[in-house]
Amino acid sequence: MKEKLLEIRKQGLEKIEAVKTLEELQDVRRDLTGKKSALSEVLKTLGSLSPDMRKEIGMQSTEIKNIFVDKLNAKEGEIISSKSVLDKPLDVTLPGKKITPGVLHPVTQMCYDLNDAFASLGFEVFSEDDISSEKFVFDNLNFPPDHPARQMMDTYWIEKTEDKSNNERLCLRPHLTGASVRYLLKHGAPARFVYPGRVYRNEDVDSGHERAFFQYEALIVDKNISFSSGIVMIQTILEKVFGREIKVRMREGFFPFVEPGYEIDMECLVCGGKGCKVCKHNGWIEVMPGGVIHPNVLKSANLDPEEWTGFYINIGLERLVMMRYGVDDIRWFHSADLRFLEQFK
Amino acid sequence: MRVSLNLIKKYLDLPKELTPKQIAYDLTIRTVEVESVEDTSVKYQNIVVGKIVEIRNHPNADLLKICLTDIGEENPVQIVCGGSNLYEGEYVVVSKPGAKVIWHGEGEPVEIKETKMRGELSYGMICGAEEVYLDAFFPPKDDHEIVDLKGIDCYPGQNISEIVCMEDTILEIDNKSLTNRPDLWGHYGIARELGAIYHLPLKELPKVSIDSNLPKYEIDIQEKEKCNRYVGIEIENIYEKESPMWMKAMLVNTGMRPINAIVDITNYVMMAVGQPLHAFDRNHVDGEKIIVRNAKKDEKLLLLDNNTIDLTSDDLVICDKNDAMALAGIRGGKKDSILPDTTGIVLEIANFAASTIRKTGKRFDEKTEASIRYEKQIDTERVDQGVSLALQLIKDFYPESNIVKYGDCYPIKTKRAVIDLPQEFLDVRLGKVLKKDTIEEILKYLGYDVEYNKNVYHVTAPVWRSTGDISLKDDVMGDIARILSYQSFEAKPLSIKVSKAVHQNKVLLERRLREYLAYRCGLNEIFTYPWIDEKYLKAAKVDITKCIRLATAPSPEQANLRSSLIPGMLEAINKNLRYFDTFKMFEMAQVFEKGEYHPSTITETLPIHKKFLTGCVVGRDAKEIFYEVKGIIESMADYCHMHKLTFEQKEKPSWADVNGYLNVMCNDIEVGSIGLVSVSTMNDAKIKHTNVAMFEINFDKLIPYDSRTNKFEHLPQLPLVQKDLSILVDENITWKEIQELIENKVKEVEFIEEYNGNQIPSGKKSIMLRIKIGNDENTMTTEEINNKMDSIVKTLNKKCGAVLREE
Repeated sequence: MKEKLLEIRKQGLEKIEAVKTLEELQDVRRDLTGKKSALSEVLKTLGSLSPDMRKEIGMQSTEIKNIFVDKLNAKEGEIISSKSVLDKPLDVTLPGKKITPGVLHPVTQMCYDLNDAFASLGFEVFSEDDISSEKFVFDNLNFPPDHPARQMMDTYWIEKTEDKSNNERLCLRPHLTGASVRYLLKHGAPARFVYPGRVYRNEDVDSGHERAFFQYEALIVDKNISFSSGIVMIQTILEKVFGREIKVRMREGFFPFVEPGYEIDMECLVCGGKGCKVCKHNGWIEVMPGGVIHPNVLKSANLDPEEWTGFYINIGLERLVMMRYGVDDIRWFHSADLRFLEQFK
Repeated sequence: MRVSLNLIKKYLDLPKELTPKQIAYDLTIRTVEVESVEDTSVKYQNIVVGKIVEIRNHPNADLLKICLTDIGEENPVQIVCGGSNLYEGEYVVVSKPGAKVIWHGEGEPVEIKETKMRGELSYGMICGAEEVYLDAFFPPKDDHEIVDLKGIDCYPGQNISEIVCMEDTILEIDNKSLTNRPDLWGHYGIARELGAIYHLPLKELPKVSIDSNLPKYEIDIQEKEKCNRYVGIEIENIYEKESPMWMKAMLVNTGMRPINAIVDITNYVMMAVGQPLHAFDRNHVDGEKIIVRNAKKDEKLLLLDNNTIDLTSDDLVICDKNDAMALAGIRGGKKDSILPDTTGIVLEIANFAASTIRKTGKRFDEKTEASIRYEKQIDTERVDQGVSLALQLIKDFYPESNIVKYGDCYPIKTKRAVIDLPQEFLDVRLGKVLKKDTIEEILKYLGYDVEYNKNVYHVTAPVWRSTGDISLKDDVMGDIARILSYQSFEAKPLSIKVSKAVHQNKVLLERRLREYLAYRCGLNEIFTYPWIDEKYLKAAKVDITKCIRLATAPSPEQANLRSSLIPGMLEAINKNLRYFDTFKMFEMAQVFEKGEYHPSTITETLPIHKKFLTGCVVGRDAKEIFYEVKGIIESMADYCHMHKLTFEQKEKPSWADVNGYLNVMCNDIEVGSIGLVSVSTMNDAKIKHTNVAMFEINFDKLIPYDSRTNKFEHLPQLPLVQKDLSILVDENITWKEIQELIENKVKEVEFIEEYNGNQIPSGKKSIMLRIKIGNDENTMTTEEINNKMDSIVKTLNKKCGAVLREE
């Protein structure tokens, strides 16, 4: 009897070992532990044995059955863990499925980044119509009457208004600053707002000059503030764009609508300020003009310059995008060429 | 403007330790942008004086000579030269190996190396003037002439830059940063700024006194507003000769060309103090009288080359008793030229109004060194500086000269601006309290007169800043801040108002729409120009008569401004079809149309502006792209949180296909349209082998919700039964008809697909739809389901002849 049990054990374990599939395993499980298994047959004969033998054989049978169950379960785990949902080999080096959302124009992306930054400082977003008048783009802004930009060659004047003056002489706005007076006339002071938009200049086009381009201007008007607070707006922009603090310097600059006016340079990111081709070997790149709003401009906005002051900054969005991504030709931005635009995912 | 540090040093003792780079930086930060710093002696490195000791014939070349030349080294060196004016004992200019020269005066500099010429060793090169940057000093008479230093005090081996006084440093200043500073268009003004920056006293200019007993030179200013002052000085014993080397060098370095001593003096004075001068040959001035007047109708100015220019009555001219001799402040005519037969001059030192110079200069498209300065509006007292410096130089260069007559007609004098500057204003606006001494010192260096009384600085601006530059206390504050440097004022943090958060619905809607189209619908954003080629306006069948036009257009065919974004989109499609078969784009921008609109008050009238949003889907399958565009618009309102958009077929857009279009409505108002682009529009826009579906929406008419309006709905307690039906209907039956028939019989009805394959009889189409049915009270029994389905099929059959398709 004992020999028989040993034989059952040996054969059973061999059978389990030989199993390859879950289906085979099921058959083997039935054969070894089912009602018709050899072990069951042995157990059925227990009654005919002596009490001692009965006990011993019974215990041994149960032990063998437990071993079978353990081994079968282990085998099952082994088979499942090596099982694949695939019936064929998978080429994992094939590319993944493409996602095809579109992209926002890089200028729009830049604009929204800046809007977010300025919104956190409590700035509203304002926009003005693309066509404006000499009154808003020059007269209100303290441009002298014979300033060259007023002449035919620099600004896109609208046909049949070009010989008129003030609010009857219309043009595609050459800069955004006119919108500042418009906003102040409408909303008064104190005020803080940004006004992004496209501006137009009658220029010869080359890799650094365009006839239509985007500017981003911010203005804050309040009482008793000093011009040096303007540098905070500058830092806001540059940190947002480049993700870290950027070294800037302010230097004298002249624009009719500010006094004092300044140019803001940032350290050249290409050479780290050592001097290279990009920065014309002086380590600095001119990024934006700014300044304290001129008293005459405040007067145009019906504000008392004795009471109010404020400052502007203005930045060319294309210029920033070009620095951010290393784009070397401004003409791409109005090209509508998807090969260019798709790069800015 | 080119600023010579040698000339600056005549007016200011700059400390030795101050490097040109530092000066450039400090000027850039505080006054004007210095674009570059140039050491003018660099290009003369290894170019030295040589003395030809012996000349031999070249054994292998008839035109070449072998010159044994003393260049200050132990032994004379052998140099092969083909110069036409070689002689033994001649002092010449030698480029030693390592020197960079311009071969034959053309092209980029080339480095000289020791070499063999036709078999004979040549240690360097004996040079012509143009080869070694000396043509302004030694104008060559023929091509093969080498520079002959005869009569010049020099020795072999001496560096040539010493001989021609070219050991200077030039700061190149961006003229744009000088537009508001007429005082900085001369070196004296720049020196004054450096004096303020470094606390150095500015040296006085020479003062030449005029003998008050001299006969008056008669001057008649007829246009006093245009000419505020005119000094005329008649001087005899002046003749054409060359200037000394230092003067030539100064002119070359500041960007002028030396001509002859008298012209050079006028140019030098202009560079030194910024006051233009003009010299007339006195024999050419008829009537010994200068008249400053407007040109007469049909008057002409005769130029040196015997051409004439036509004048208008706007042009201010300088005349003798008969004719115009010069265009005031811009250019001279034939009569004012200094020629070999000149024996005396009439010197003009005058003040002209900026506006007249600018106007006339613009019309003749002419900018001269003089007109650039006059355009900035020079003060009338600058004339005195010009007179003194010029007379001093004339006396130096022409000791035998003699002033014959002197006239000073001075109808309008520049008034110095007087400004009160309260201490408190400065403290607040500068954000920093400055010491009284600091403020007064800066202002005094800059030429202000300052009196301090009861916390107010009473300042009188210098006359050279009083022609518009300085008129308000803000201007004076600016001067103080910039000399201290803006960077020295600490950045003050901005305070944040917490009263109200920024909430701008329409601004946010614009962003949501762009992001929806790009990120959810897969359209790429583009920008196109507002001026549009007529070809595309015509292709889109836009009414061109309504377009606003530019007076000066980028090109003649681009004079129209867009009244729709469709034409620009057509052009962009055309361009991109070169690289892509299928693509999607959108643009959002303002468009313009004739008409009246008042953005602020009734007194301000602009043409009509609309903000449009236009997009396209380009692909072969017209039906597919039409429904794609329709889908984009259908879901737009839900995703962008704005009032619902619906469709009606009312009026075909000009560019759209006769059948494939829809008008887009919002609250029963038309806000745009969608459609397939018509065959004729595609032909005209040269869009081939593909189809295009577009939409155009007027953004101004879209209404954003104040917040998101999604509403939670309870999920059905009982399961719904889903059934797909495939029906065969007449091809004229629309989905809308089918939908309306069964909508109220079911919980949901959804369109799955339309099919017109081979198995479908002609004139029919197959439609597959999915319906969901259910009861609110209990789960439907099979019988209930079958009854419901039968009823639906019967209705469809009865109302629109639909029959179930066999599976």
